Formats: sequence, structure tokens, C-alpha cells
Amino acid sequence: MATIAMTSPATDEVRQPSQIILLLRYLRRNKSLGIGLTVLLLLVAFTVIGLLVVDPKHAYPLSAPSKRPPSLQYWFGTDFFGRDMLSAMAVGMWQTAVIGLLAGGIGTMIGVFFGFVSAYFGGWIDTVVKSVCQILTPIPVLLIQVVVASSLDKRDVTILTMALIVVMLAWMGPTLVIRSQVLTMKERQFVSVAKLSGVGDLGIIFKEILPNLLPFIAAAFVGQVFAAVFASFYLAVLGLGPLREPLLGNIIWAAQGQGAFFNGWWWWPIEPAVAMILILGSLALVIMGLDELANPRVRRTE
Amino acid sequence: MNSTLTDAPLSTRQTKLSSDRSGAAPVLQVRHLEVTYYTDLGRAKALDDVSFSLKAGEKLGMVGESGSGKSTMALAMMRMIKQPGRIEGGQVIVGDTDLMSLDEEGMRKARLSKIAYIPQGAMNSLNPVTRIGAQMVDAVKAHLPSESRSAIDERCANALRSVDLDPGVARMYAHELSGGMKQRVCIAIGILLNPQVIIADEPTSALDVVTQRQVMETIDRVREKINVAVILIGHDMGLMAQFVDKVAVMYAGRLVEVSTVREMFTDPKHPYAKALISSLPNLDNKGVFQGIAGLAPSLLRLPSGCAFHPRCARAMDICTTTRPEVRTLETGRIVTCHLFNEEA
Repeated sequence: MATIAMTSPATDEVRQPSQIILLLRYLRRNKSLGIGLTVLLLLVAFTVIGLLVVDPKHAYPLSAPSKRPPSLQYWFGTDFFGRDMLSAMAVGMWQTAVIGLLAGGIGTMIGVFFGFVSAYFGGWIDTVVKSVCQILTPIPVLLIQVVVASSLDKRDVTILTMALIVVMLAWMGPTLVIRSQVLTMKERQFVSVAKLSGVGDLGIIFKEILPNLLPFIAAAFVGQVFAAVFASFYLAVLGLGPLREPLLGNIIWAAQGQGAFFNGWWWWPIEPAVAMILILGSLALVIMGLDELANPRVRRTE
Repeated sequence: MNSTLTDAPLSTRQTKLSSDRSGAAPVLQVRHLEVTYYTDLGRAKALDDVSFSLKAGEKLGMVGESGSGKSTMALAMMRMIKQPGRIEGGQVIVGDTDLMSLDEEGMRKARLSKIAYIPQGAMNSLNPVTRIGAQMVDAVKAHLPSESRSAIDERCANALRSVDLDPGVARMYAHELSGGMKQRVCIAIGILLNPQVIIADEPTSALDVVTQRQVMETIDRVREKINVAVILIGHDMGLMAQFVDKVAVMYAGRLVEVSTVREMFTDPKHPYAKALISSLPNLDNKGVFQGIAGLAPSLLRLPSGCAFHPRCARAMDICTTTRPEVRTLETGRIVTCHLFNEEA
């Protein structure tokens, strides 16, 4: 505020810049968050506009002539099975987003719940929750996911089951993070002051502690979305996803199955791969940015 | 609903006060309060047979070295002693309820509505991410869930006004306030429900002297307004001399002397109180500074007999063997020392 007053000495009043200006200024300082959000928004715009413009039916086999390279008529080309890749990408990215948000959301909610219960009430509940998390965490997630996903009947696998398979092993991270934060938070003086003022347990959890943890919960959520998108991707590449759907991983799996590169259909596997790189890259940048936002100790000074 | 809950006790207290100021029934009686911490190194008796009483509108100053049990007493009165500490016995009677006999829910309700606590270090006592108003509303709602929103807002605005803050402060966050303002917000929260007793645990630590004075004056004005008994915990004898009616001196978990502020500063009885008063810097003999030899004893290994005897200038043989009893002198002063065995 002081710098504003100095640069414009003509006006006496110090004007508080609007929230949007402040946000944009912050994003300019926090570059990884800015770039990550921009790419993410472009991807969202692509899939939303795509879903509105193209016919989602063209994302499924036999809806277009097969094996056409990118052209004016088919911007992203078509694949061996006669799918319009533009529609397939729009629908696939949408489905990827649904799996990510669903699994990330459920995982974060479970984590917040167990983290709070475990840390706030302590005792044997804490011991049980902590032990389960610590036992499950070092087991390679991929192993369990592959076993579970491959033991399911392929015809039953839908977007929702994909999300559930992913979330099954995705709640321990947020649980441990939230638990440790609540443990430090509940010893803060304002919490004991609230207790001394006769505020009950629920009041303290929701009114005193939870608002302080929102940045951590947001960061945990984005981390979970990242993990969920990635897991759904590699499971689908291995051919363990819902085979009918044009999930990004499924497209790569199909392209590999038909030897797309040998036959010169380069656009077929390249497009979902690039899309996946953009999604995961932007999410990783957002995570780094949120980390800086939530943890002022790593905040850059200019 | 709200008027019956809060105004009624206030008016009865005031009539009681106007009828007889001196002989009024005490609003707070602490009897034989005992707190023990069970540590790995052994039992530490942090509070040993502490008894005193306060009338409405009275101000008691509680002084003593670090670790003498001042804050433990405050927390014990709020029943907020954490493990491994335990309240072993005693009564804390506010009005006509014994806080120690209440169940957990009753005690939760009693906090703030009967007995309020103004914390040490107001800097960290407010939630950094919620507005002041929201924190006050939460505190009220925890006790009066059915009070209407407008009545609660009015109550908060009144509380802020009585500590000389603009009611607009309710829309601000803690980091937008100065240290003194934060401490006054804490006082405002303390008086939201017109309690009968306020415990202020070093309310002016970490404040500069000008702000200290503002805060103390605020507490005093609030005390007069709602006629509440105030216990002020602190080290600052100068502040105590100006502010309180009675001074209680604690040593190693025991109350060694309770006297009016005038008696305490002119004619302290207990040797420890004497040493404390004479250790104060004094304008008449500048440069001469008398400390008290030795260190406060560890609560885990208290000296035999009177805990003060190794540092006491007037120690007698009996002091090393027998624990002195709490005695009330004719003037109403309370002293725990063998020197006054026959006077009592």
C-alpha cells in the first residue's frame, strides 16, 4: 500500500487494489501456480468447448472412416477403429477429469475425517488409524491396484469403478497430513482459549481448527487428484480400464495393440500422451504453487 | 430467554452489594484446592491446600515466582488441568455452585458464563483466520444456542464498546489489531456473558507500559460495570500496588500470605513476602538492590517442613521439621508461617 501511495503522490487517498488485481499480482509472483492454473484452464476449456461442439458419439468406434491423418475435416485424425480423435480426446479428458475429481474428492474427505478424529480425540482411535496408514503406505500401490483391477470382470468396469479402485489406496496420505496438522493446531493457544470459553468439541473442530487447515486440505486435494489421474492413466494403459470408453490411457493401450507406430499412425498414440503430459504437468505445477501458498516458509521473497 | 439468564444474577448481585459492602457473601470461595502432577520423576504437588475467598467487585493480585503455582491455580479453577496433572481435592464455589461437583457439560457451560479466563499473551489467543466477531459469536452460541442473531450481535457490540473498542473491530482479523487491542478483545470475550469471576493470567505481559496501563484500566472499568470479582496473576508488584485490593503471595504451591495491598506493602508478615517487598527497587535508597538468596525449590523435591526455610532469614528449628499451618490473623490476614503460631 505504501508503494502505491508513493508512486501516485497526486492522490491523497490510498486505494486498496481490488481482489482480482491482488490475485493476479500473487500469481505473477508464484509462477508455478500461475502457469499450472493457466494450462489447466486451457485444458478445461478444450474439453468443455469440445463436448459442446463435437458429437460425443464420434468418440466411439465405427463413427468415422478409420486411419485418417489429421486434416481439415478431422483435425486430430481418426484411429484404426474409426473414432474421431478430436471427439475421443474431448470425451477422454472429461472422463479423466471425472475420475480425478471423484477419487481425489472422496480420498481427501476420508483423509480429513480420519485425520481429525485420530488427532483430536487421540487414544486407541489414533493408534488404529495411524498404524493402518503406516502399514498401507509403503506397499506399492500399483501392485494392489493391478491385482484388484484385473480381478474385476472387464464388462463391469466403468468410470465409477475406476475411481473407487483408485480411492481405495489414496486416503492414507491426506489422513497423515491432516492428522499431523491437527496435532500441532490443537495445542495452539487460541484453541485452549476457546476451550476455556466453554466452546464444545464440534465448535473447536469446525470453527477454530478447520479454517486454519483449508490451505492444507486444498493442497492435499490437488495432490490426490494428481495421484488419481495418474493411477487411472497407467491402469488404462495396461488395459485394465473400462475398455469401451475413450479414456486417454485406453487410447494408448489400443494404439499399442494395433502397432500404431509401425503402421505410421503416429497421431493416434501421440495425442493422448501429450494431453496426459499437459494434465499431469499442470497439476504438478499447481501442487508446487499451493505448497508455497500454504507454507509461507518456502515462500519466495523478492 | 437471554434476559433471564444474564440480567437476573447481575441485579441480585448488585442489590447484595448495595445492602452491605463489607459483610457481603463472597462470590468466590476456593477451599483446600490441591493439584498434583504425576511425572516420570515423581509426584509434584503444584497446588497445596489453597484457600481464599473474594467478594463481588473485589480485586485480588496473585504474585509469586515462576513455577509457584499461579497459573496452575487459574487452570484448576477452570478445571482445565491436563494430564498428567490431577485436581486431588478441594472446592471452587462460584456464587452457590461448586465447580468441582459439576459434570463435564455443566463445567463447559460454567466456563465464561460464571468464571471467565483472560489468557496470557493475547498475541496467540485469537484465531488467525476467523474474524473477531465470528469468534465472539461462537463463544456466545456455545452457551446460549437459542439466542437470536441480532441479540448476539448486540451483546458482542456492547462487550467491545465496554473495552473501548469500536464495534467495527468485529469485522476485522486478529492480525489487523495491535497488541493492546487484541488483549482488549480477549477481555471483551471474557465479559460477554457477565461472569461472576474473571481470572486474568498476566494480561499485560508482552505489552509496553502505556498499553499495560490502558489494559489495566479497561479491566478495572469492566469490573466496576458488571461488578465482577477479578483475580490478577502477575509478577509486576508495581502494577499490583496500583490496581488490586488484596495481594496473595504464592510460594511452592502454597499461599503464604494474603493481605490488603496497603498492609502487604507497608507491613508484610511472612518472611518471603517481606523479602519480596524489600527486593523492589526503591527511590529512597537507589542502587541498593536486595534479592532473595537461593532459588525456588523444585516441586519434585520440596524441602522438609516449610518449603521456604532454606532461604528464610528467620528460620527456626521447627521450620525444618514441621509444615506450617494456614493461619488467619485477627486482622483477617492469612499467613502460613510458624512465626505467627501464637498470634492466631
